[in-house]
Amino acid sequence: MATTAVRVRSENHAFEGLKAGLDVRAAGRIVEADADAFPTGIAELDRILGGGFPRGTVAALEGPPTSGRSAILAGMLAEGTRRGLGAIVDDGSFYPPDLERAGVDLDRLLIINATTPVGSARAADILLRSRAFGVVAFCVVPLRAAIWSRLAALAHKAGAVLVAIGTQATTELAYFASTRVRCAIERVLWSSDRRLFCELDGYELAAQVIKHRRIAPGASATLRIAN
Amino acid sequence: MLLCMHIASFALQVARRHHGIAASDEPALLADKPDRGRIIDLDERAYALGARRGQTVLQASAATGGAQVFVHDSAHSHAVWNDMLDALDAVSPLIDDTAEGTAYLEMRGIDGDAQAWMDRARAAVAPFGLPARMAIGPNKFVTRAATYAGDGTTCSEEEGPALLAPLPLEMLDLDCRTIDRLQLLGIKTLGELAQLPHGPFVRRFGSAAKQWHDRARAIDPTPLRPRAHELQIDAAAYGEGSAAQAEQVYFALRILTDRVCSDLERAGRSAATVRLSLQCENGDTKELDVGFAQATADPRLMLDVMRAKLEGMAFGAPIDGLRLQAMRLEEGGVPAPLFGQSEPDSQALGLALTRLEAAVGTPGRRARVVPAHRLENRFQYDSFAPPLRVAGVPPATRAHPVPQLRMLAVREIRVAMRRNVPEVVEARHVVECAGPWRLDDGWFESPVARDEYDVLLDDGLLWRIYRQGERWYLRGAYD
Repeated sequence: MATTAVRVRSENHAFEGLKAGLDVRAAGRIVEADADAFPTGIAELDRILGGGFPRGTVAALEGPPTSGRSAILAGMLAEGTRRGLGAIVDDGSFYPPDLERAGVDLDRLLIINATTPVGSARAADILLRSRAFGVVAFCVVPLRAAIWSRLAALAHKAGAVLVAIGTQATTELAYFASTRVRCAIERVLWSSDRRLFCELDGYELAAQVIKHRRIAPGASATLRIAN
Repeated sequence: MLLCMHIASFALQVARRHHGIAASDEPALLADKPDRGRIIDLDERAYALGARRGQTVLQASAATGGAQVFVHDSAHSHAVWNDMLDALDAVSPLIDDTAEGTAYLEMRGIDGDAQAWMDRARAAVAPFGLPARMAIGPNKFVTRAATYAGDGTTCSEEEGPALLAPLPLEMLDLDCRTIDRLQLLGIKTLGELAQLPHGPFVRRFGSAAKQWHDRARAIDPTPLRPRAHELQIDAAAYGEGSAAQAEQVYFALRILTDRVCSDLERAGRSAATVRLSLQCENGDTKELDVGFAQATADPRLMLDVMRAKLEGMAFGAPIDGLRLQAMRLEEGGVPAPLFGQSEPDSQALGLALTRLEAAVGTPGRRARVVPAHRLENRFQYDSFAPPLRVAGVPPATRAHPVPQLRMLAVREIRVAMRRNVPEVVEARHVVECAGPWRLDDGWFESPVARDEYDVLLDDGLLWRIYRQGERWYLRGAYD
């Protein structure tokens, strides 16, 4: 009888432990580091993403125009150009001096000026197919599901991260993206209170994982982006 | 023993032959370019009339009284010279082509005597119709001097000093000032130079004088440097049956392509063009030159492009012979650091950049930060050529995320001010404002004077705006 009671207690204890672990995992607070992850260079974000964005996938950084998406992307490009080559496909809006301040090696960053959605898709296709670029960034553009499917397959083959940055992922992108992170600015930091004599120091932003292939959605972190 | 073949004014002779003009008493000049060119070669008659190298065509023509002027075609001249050397391969396998027009052949171990060697060399270059002078000697300098002394001269090691003795100092390729100095000392021939004591002469004229004195005494230790033979990479399939269907041809072509690419890789080369020769059963032969945007040694790429070229071609009879020849070979090796992390394949990268330019219409660029006052002038773009890392991956550094300014197309905006501070921007209230930062630039050409502000608007947007004169403009948004 006593033996049975001990066994039941032991099973209950094991179950409680397992349940607690699952709860924590479901909450997205603890994720083991993924060796295949591509780090963003921002510790808090890497922690909730389990080391970074998974390699060989499509990732989406979403948020309104002033939301810190570009700052996160700059961190990824810094990491990408440190290890290999990175590429940006956009209409020329990225400001190279700020990219350099974020640690991007501009010598190893290819900038492609594409103005049409199809041009962007073709450029991303060629860049991924070359397997020379570890991270390829481009703005969210309306594309057919077939094109996203193709780009996702190419990213998988190349082991690269294709990052789409925009206000809101399109339905097709939302389906094919393995990871989606939504950003929003919580507080803007100024260098002093005297308005006419202060400068923009940075901002604190909230990053929330709304889709991930390994963790439950909902994990969030407050990131400090400051000069 | 060495055999020297020398063709005086080789480029000029080739130009003459190219234009179908036989050597005549009329002086001839060779210019480097058609318009406003300078003389780079001339014959003895033009020299005697006062023309010199380096003169303008006008000066030389005036000096010679209307000499024939030819324009140098270096590619043609080089091709003719290579053909001559190939022809001389039949005389000796070791040929040193010092310069166009002068070649030394190593004749030790070659069957026959000196006269027979020269006859063979003459017969080999006879089809080119250029006046070649031959001589045999113990070393390069003596042999070259022997061609000057007389066509068909044979000089042994012992006869060398005697052969050189009456020759002028110009044989040593000295500069004019040195020749003048020597002539002031009463030295006008190699024989007179050879009689000078070696040590004092070298001490007086410097270390280079050692070689002059040695050569004047028929001593020339310069080794023969045999030319490298041009690499030929090809593969052929003849007499292995005939192919009447496209698939059979492609199958054979794939095998040949694999062989050629394997040879290319072994040689560390890549081919910018391949020549495909197809022979039909009825004797017809077709040649197809297939070029690539970038030299390659990738069999799949090569085969795809060749298949595309072959599409739609019709043949009168089954194909019974194929030959694939790699042309325009280029260095195909990928420079790889010994201890570094693997770099991207430069060939794949080059191909991607070419494709991107074709797809997007503009070449891939890289940005460079430059010092400037205006935001928009603080960077420049140039062509993308990533440097090779020899030290591997740099160590990870602490990330330093900073706000990123996104440059927007400049547009005019409406701004309401209150107490000299922007209060409403495009119908949005300003929550926070930093600035102004005064910018005065370009006063020497296109003056720009403006006040820049960073403004946080009530809907969360963070903009960089500026006032220029009475107007306000949006420059960018932070993200």
